[in-house]
Amino acid sequence: MLLLRSVLLFALLAVASAAFAQDRVQVVTTTTDLRSLTEAVGGDRVVAVSLVPPNLDAEEYQPKPQDMLRLKQARLLVRVGLDYDLWLDRLLAQAGRPEISRGGPAYVDASFAIAVLELRGMSVGPGDGHAHGSGNPHFWLDPKNAETITANILEALARLDPANARTYEANRQAFLTRLNAKLTEWESKLSALKGMPIVAYHNSWPYFARRFRLDVIGFIETKPGVPPSPSHLAEIVRDMRARGVRIVVREPHEPERDVAFVASRAGAQIVKLAASVGALPGANDYISLFDVNVAALTAAAAKQ
Amino acid sequence: MIDVIQFLWPAFLVAVCLVGIHAYFGIMVLARKVIFVDLALAQIAALGATVAFMLGHPPQSIATYGYSLTFTLLAAVLLAFTRAWGTRVPQEALIGVIYVVAAAIAILLIDRAPQGAEHLKQILTGNILTSGFSDLAVIVPLYAAVGLLHWLLRRHMTGAGSLAWEFVFYATFGIVVTSSVAIAGVLLVFSFLIIPATIGILLADSLSRQLAIGWIIGVLVSAAGLAASFVFDLPTGAAMVCAFGASLALAGVLYPFVRGDRQRALRSTTRTVRWIGAVILAGSALQLAVAPRADQPLLDLAEWATPSLRRLYFTRAEAATYADATEYAERYRRQAEDLNERERRNRTEGQGLDDFAVARISSFLKSYGEMRKGEQFVMGEVRARARERIRWIGSLALLACAFLVVPVRWRRLSMRFSGRK
Repeated sequence: MLLLRSVLLFALLAVASAAFAQDRVQVVTTTTDLRSLTEAVGGDRVVAVSLVPPNLDAEEYQPKPQDMLRLKQARLLVRVGLDYDLWLDRLLAQAGRPEISRGGPAYVDASFAIAVLELRGMSVGPGDGHAHGSGNPHFWLDPKNAETITANILEALARLDPANARTYEANRQAFLTRLNAKLTEWESKLSALKGMPIVAYHNSWPYFARRFRLDVIGFIETKPGVPPSPSHLAEIVRDMRARGVRIVVREPHEPERDVAFVASRAGAQIVKLAASVGALPGANDYISLFDVNVAALTAAAAKQ
Repeated sequence: MIDVIQFLWPAFLVAVCLVGIHAYFGIMVLARKVIFVDLALAQIAALGATVAFMLGHPPQSIATYGYSLTFTLLAAVLLAFTRAWGTRVPQEALIGVIYVVAAAIAILLIDRAPQGAEHLKQILTGNILTSGFSDLAVIVPLYAAVGLLHWLLRRHMTGAGSLAWEFVFYATFGIVVTSSVAIAGVLLVFSFLIIPATIGILLADSLSRQLAIGWIIGVLVSAAGLAASFVFDLPTGAAMVCAFGASLALAGVLYPFVRGDRQRALRSTTRTVRWIGAVILAGSALQLAVAPRADQPLLDLAEWATPSLRRLYFTRAEAATYADATEYAERYRRQAEDLNERERRNRTEGQGLDDFAVARISSFLKSYGEMRKGEQFVMGEVRARARERIRWIGSLALLACAFLVVPVRWRRLSMRFSGRK
């Protein structure tokens, strides 16, 4: 009897939870950062999945059949924009869902209303590390930009699910309060690195550098996907020696050898930073992403 | 200059070592007609490393190397056994299958462990520029040992020996390729393997001479490729591969001079060059006549080399407009760069710009980009209209050049034609 009762209870729970899951807004984001920010706004009212797994280069992602299924089931789509996740356009064209395609009510381009850095029209700038002119796409790495990104997400969520608009609004406010408190903490910790010259592998850090007033003086990779030329490496090493660069920043997916080569010649240490949620252990959500990076940078600066 | 030599010296030494062993293996591989075997073995080694990585071993550990080696040896067994296939199906078919299946399995495995993607890429896309004395410390003794072994067993390494000797050949080759691909990448190792050996075989008959030519060419071309990559600011591996390609083309041109009647070789080379020139000129004439607004590669190249050529067909007004647009486009580019630079400096200097100021800068940058695009459009339009105007006379002139260049004796042709009549 007890068994029957528990089976019945279990079945009821399963049905209820399935119904609840159906009730929640299915959101597809291109990156894990946007997933984390969507969850911050949506709370338990949304189920968010990211198409690009953590630690893969989102600029070179190759979609899988499951991604198509995810798009077909999505009620809301959040993308980075600025030519960062260009592969999504073809996927969207195939999915044939106008509401989550460009211009649709459930389509969010997170870069909307962001103050974009390093915009170069349609021409390729010298040594800017990006082969497109829409500006540097790594804008989520400025925690202040989370205000704009979450506002974009909030607006779309409120439109899709007006009944819960107040909840979303409150979630976002709570998140931003927490983030702003953290921001002050990060700023004071990173003040030790103010003006300290840094070299990075890829130009992923202009927004981060601007917010925390870091001086990124050069990049090892000048164009994405193209190995650096010897004259460029020689120049970087020369600059690093001349300006006393002690920190070289590398993301986990970037080639270890090239970074180690430059760092060893200039007598600098390599600091592994996560440019996306999940790229390093401990960087489990948007706030801990910065926690991990700030801790790595301050530890490196303390070693000087 | 000393800085440059210091910078390129280790990479050059590594290249010399790689040429040393690969030119020899290249001759052997060409004799066995298994050209792409290095790609297959490298991919198999990468697959072994991926499996090790999936099982939790760190990338540069002995366990990982052990997995790589085991996989390579298994592939060597497979290759030795399937030599007999050669009579019915080329062994290259099997090599191709090994390559694609190993690559596909690696992708499937990586899909389960995303952090391995970069690792797999690194195994197959080494960068010779960032190699150094630590790599030399590994490969010099290894290659010396393999070289010595092959010298001692030279009678059995001809490809006609028993299965066991074939296994020794593929196993040692696999060991060499596994280490070299990690240092220099698949593309460059393939060039080291095939091109010096091909040139050696083209120009000499005995193994020792072929080897000597392969080594000398390989070392010289490596040095040239490294130097070119520094001088022209190019990615090193790609520049070296292109240098090797160019050296093979040159050897192909020189081949008939070295191995045959020089007079005849000279005549046939001149004829070929003239035919190519005539075809390019006639093609350009046709392109200009049919689609004057489309790209004109020959004209574009000529104008790029000597911009004053435009004066030949631009009117004065067109030349003025073109010059104006060029100047403005450059000015907008500079202004945009200045703004970008100002924003960059402000990240660390002074008060720092607020978001509003940054947004203003980015909207200015957008406008400058649009304006520059506008000027570039004007330049293209002026040139297209001028070319449209001269399409007939221009294509006639090009055609006349083609007739001048083509190696046909028009008088004899016309005599024969009238004679038949």
